[in-house]
Amino acid sequence: MPASMPMWPRPWLPPAETEGIVAQLKQMAGAVVTAPLGWAARAIDPPLRLWQRLTGTGGMAAFFLLPNMAIFGVFVLLPLVINFAYSMTTGGALFLSDREYVGAAQYAQLLDCDDYTDPSTCAQDQFWTALANTALFVVLQVSLLIVTATITALILNRELRARSFWRAVFFFPVLLSPVVVGLIWRWILQRDGLLNAMIIPMGLDPVNWLIERNWAFAAAIGVTIWAHLGFYALILLAGLQAIPKDLYEAAEMDGTKPGRVFWRITLPLLMPNLLVVIVLALIRAVQVFDEAFVLTGGGPGTATLFLTQYIYEVGFASLLKNPGLAAAASILMGAVLVVLTLIQLAISRRNEKKGKLK
Amino acid sequence: MSRVSAFLFRRRGGKGWHWTDVVTFGWLFFGVIVMFGPALWLIMSSFKSPAQLAEFPPTALPYESRTVVVEGYDKPLPLFIVTDEAGTRTLAEVRRVGTTAQMVDPANSGEIQRVNIANRVPDRQVGFAWDNYVQPFLAFDFMLYLKNSVFVTVVATLITLLTNSMAAFALSKYEFRGRNAVMLTVLATLMIPLSVILVPLYSIISAVGLFNSLWGVILPTVATPTGIFLLRQYMLTIPDELLEAARMDHASEWQIYWRIVLPLTAPALAVLGIFSVVWRWNDFLWPLIVLSRKEVYTLQVGLNTYAGELNVQWHFILAMTVVTMIPVVIVFLFLQRFITTGIAGSGLK
Amino acid sequence: MGQISLKGIKKSFGAVDVLKGIDLEVGDGELVVFVGPSGCGKSTLLRMIAGLDQPTAGTIAINGTDVTPRSAADRGLAMVFQSYALYPHMSVRQNMAFGLQNTRMARAEIDARIADAARLLEIEPLLERRPGQLSGGQRQRVAIGRAIVRRPTAFLLDEPLSNLDAELRVSMRAELSALHARLGATMVHVTHDQVEAMTMADRIVVLRAGRIEQVDTPLNLYNRPANLFVAGFIGAPGMNMFGATMARGVARLEGGPEIDLGGLPLPPSGAVTLGIRPQHLLLSEGVEADLTAKVDLIEALGSETVVHATLNEGAKLLAVLPGQPALARGDVVGFDVDPAMVHAFGADGVRLAGF
Ligand SMILES: Nc1ncnc2c1ncn2[C@@H]1O[C@H](COP(=O)(O)OP(=O)(O)OP(=O)(O)O)[C@@H](O)[C@H]1O
Ligand SMILES: [Mg+2]
Repeated sequence: MPASMPMWPRPWLPPAETEGIVAQLKQMAGAVVTAPLGWAARAIDPPLRLWQRLTGTGGMAAFFLLPNMAIFGVFVLLPLVINFAYSMTTGGALFLSDREYVGAAQYAQLLDCDDYTDPSTCAQDQFWTALANTALFVVLQVSLLIVTATITALILNRELRARSFWRAVFFFPVLLSPVVVGLIWRWILQRDGLLNAMIIPMGLDPVNWLIERNWAFAAAIGVTIWAHLGFYALILLAGLQAIPKDLYEAAEMDGTKPGRVFWRITLPLLMPNLLVVIVLALIRAVQVFDEAFVLTGGGPGTATLFLTQYIYEVGFASLLKNPGLAAAASILMGAVLVVLTLIQLAISRRNEKKGKLK
Repeated sequence: MSRVSAFLFRRRGGKGWHWTDVVTFGWLFFGVIVMFGPALWLIMSSFKSPAQLAEFPPTALPYESRTVVVEGYDKPLPLFIVTDEAGTRTLAEVRRVGTTAQMVDPANSGEIQRVNIANRVPDRQVGFAWDNYVQPFLAFDFMLYLKNSVFVTVVATLITLLTNSMAAFALSKYEFRGRNAVMLTVLATLMIPLSVILVPLYSIISAVGLFNSLWGVILPTVATPTGIFLLRQYMLTIPDELLEAARMDHASEWQIYWRIVLPLTAPALAVLGIFSVVWRWNDFLWPLIVLSRKEVYTLQVGLNTYAGELNVQWHFILAMTVVTMIPVVIVFLFLQRFITTGIAGSGLK
Repeated sequence: MGQISLKGIKKSFGAVDVLKGIDLEVGDGELVVFVGPSGCGKSTLLRMIAGLDQPTAGTIAINGTDVTPRSAADRGLAMVFQSYALYPHMSVRQNMAFGLQNTRMARAEIDARIADAARLLEIEPLLERRPGQLSGGQRQRVAIGRAIVRRPTAFLLDEPLSNLDAELRVSMRAELSALHARLGATMVHVTHDQVEAMTMADRIVVLRAGRIEQVDTPLNLYNRPANLFVAGFIGAPGMNMFGATMARGVARLEGGPEIDLGGLPLPPSGAVTLGIRPQHLLLSEGVEADLTAKVDLIEALGSETVVHATLNEGAKLLAVLPGQPALARGDVVGFDVDPAMVHAFGADGVRLAGF
């Protein structure tokens, strides 16, 4: 008889690290919430049993999918389709039937420029300003964000005491609402704010941070980095922690210099995470709105007017609402995002494959 | 203190300071100041009176003037420390005329002294202007906004958890025609941000009469593909044998979902629930578009409106910002570990 | 009453035919064991009886009623899963009560049944624990307890012991047999461990590649395997098989030695396969041994000795000798064969008539 390995039964259990959540959740939810829910769940069981009998498991699958798919269809899929119709019609009317078909005219209008290097020569100069601002923002914000997030992750990955405290320090702003973030920094950066109070004793002249064009733009970059740094640092930290320790030990045995270890071991192995983080950061940077809007309101002038705010202004906020134009602009932005998303999917697909090979 | 620093500064192997250690601790302390500092500053500022907020340079702590009740005067009078040729003494101000203040010695209320205002400083003590917090609740619509925000957050999160888990259950535990098509659609829209479909979504919301309704804020957000995806991945790890055992146990499919699968998905539901709460609480752009009447404003929209008014009443705004921040800070303090593992595990944001 | 009858059960997953026509009657109160190599379709067959899968063709009847279209819940059966499938988030008590609550049974009755089952299985102190806090053997008992409280027409057990370590498996085996005797209920038990099958079963069903090879009592299977597959599958170590050619009533093994099997109802000529269990080979005392072989390896187990040897013609041979015979590697020894203990199979692998 082949000696079979004694194998202790492992009934399926939720992963250990999450058990705390369940306990904590139970305490928090308590009977107050669960009792009526449980009652409701029992009440709908009999009719559902009947439905199950009549339609079998196929019918049940439909039942479970229906609520979500209905909402999803009406509020996500349908708008996606309608967006194209919108972008090809004009007028202030909201309902498609009242709108006039103009084909690609709005796209033409958006893209109509005498000199593409100078937004003021364009038919929609605001669009081009927003586009130029967004492009500059994306380049500067993402590169700075990635560098600082990487440094933070590398530092958090060292053998620190109280690492979870330090991690929390950097993560804290991530959960704050963009409005809160915007207001906090508006308060600090205003003319009589904390920052000026701190630089005057150093012998520097006070700066109107949110009124001067370049400083306002820099502030938008700095504040968004402040708000998102922790999120990306966390993903990178997870990537760093997945790098096997023995690689570093082997390098140490070989007497490799720390700098070389970083360039030859850490960076290549972190690359998959780094790529994902870069694309995610790009996707978010292209859509920048909330924090910047609360911080500067797009100003001074149009110095911090970004694409999403342009869409918002043209479609909803301005006196001469032009939903068609806004839709066309959003489709152009969507196209950029789709490309970025495809890149991200390709990267994670490749990572997965590599992971499987190992 | 030395204990604390010994704890915080412990380095690899306890060897001497390497330059990387310097960089590390430099960065970490810079981080503490830059990350926590602004929020701390916000909180301290929120307790300052309007007059104090207007001061430049600002003080770190909130102060209030000391006052004293002097015989012969109805109202309490503010105290000042006066320094002039007659020496240093504490006097109460009766009234001020130009650059001269009429003051009395609280101990000797009969005699009025004239003091040049350049010769005196207010006598202050650390004190909190609680009024900044009380007033918005009483006089503004703050309470209303708070209620709206709580409603949106709670309802949206509950619906998200219910509908997403139901869909994830169907997509992970049933074989049916079109399953892959549904899954593909969900995946394809995973990254479509709201900002791309703002205009048509707005028209749909208007068409179904949800403009200026909190439901108009809630519904478009609840069918998140992210939630379905996360829950489905988790449910796939629940063995089918458990479901079959329940089927043998006379459980209906609904019971299997409600009594077996849902409790076992609790960890993933918790992660999604926490994120949903934070997302919905913080939502700004979409409520800004859907809600145009004050009665339905959420906190974030209301706050932005206050801050956009002509004479910005910073003392109220700062206090309201702090209140807006509180739920998120509580979530952060208690659930920080789950959130961070959740993000690291799923890349959710 | 718990009588199950299967007629012409077939099952295909897509293009793969997993079961190719199964006919079987399980009597009331009987303990029937399905054995067979991995992947032969044991679990599939059991799941079809349970109602968790639908057969592609054929009917399943319980107590004479056709239940093929009925769902799992409506067949009145209980199943113990290989992984036990205990609900991890419920206590032992809740695990056992869940199925009863679903049938809207009175609370008092539920409590009474759980108390009974807990006493029977000696798991009373564990009732408030979660499955994650139990040892393997305890989980096993709870899984059985969950089946017992249902008072099912029949128990279906899919390899309930395979997750236990060897020692525990032996004791649980005995307990399961005792339980069967006590409850007197019909049980269908799946295993790929033939010792388990031999010790527990009233009748054994040997399956191979979706077909039933033989159904009989354990001893009949051992003594009179219906074909080469069963002969090789039942009994440990496996039976020695020798290809042989019959000529004038004498069997000539491939390559040389002849064994006189006079008196056996062998065909006068043609190719046969002879099977001799290792336990039925005896050390030859005299000079005239039936088989002569060179010892390759000796495994002394104390009570018996397993001898691996090679016949002169190169065929391998295995013998299990009682006690501790004084043998060494390289020895040439003779074995005697008791003609009464020889199994003979035709060219098609089927046991020869008359054996
Ligand atoms: N859902 C399925 N889809 C496709 N093939 C399946 C499915 N379930 C089982 N099979 C196939 O059916 C055959 C029989 O499987 P079954 O689980 O019944 O084997 P078994 O006899 O129980 O084996 P074991 O002793 O390893 O448990 C196997 O070849 C298996 O791959
Ligand atoms: Mg099996």
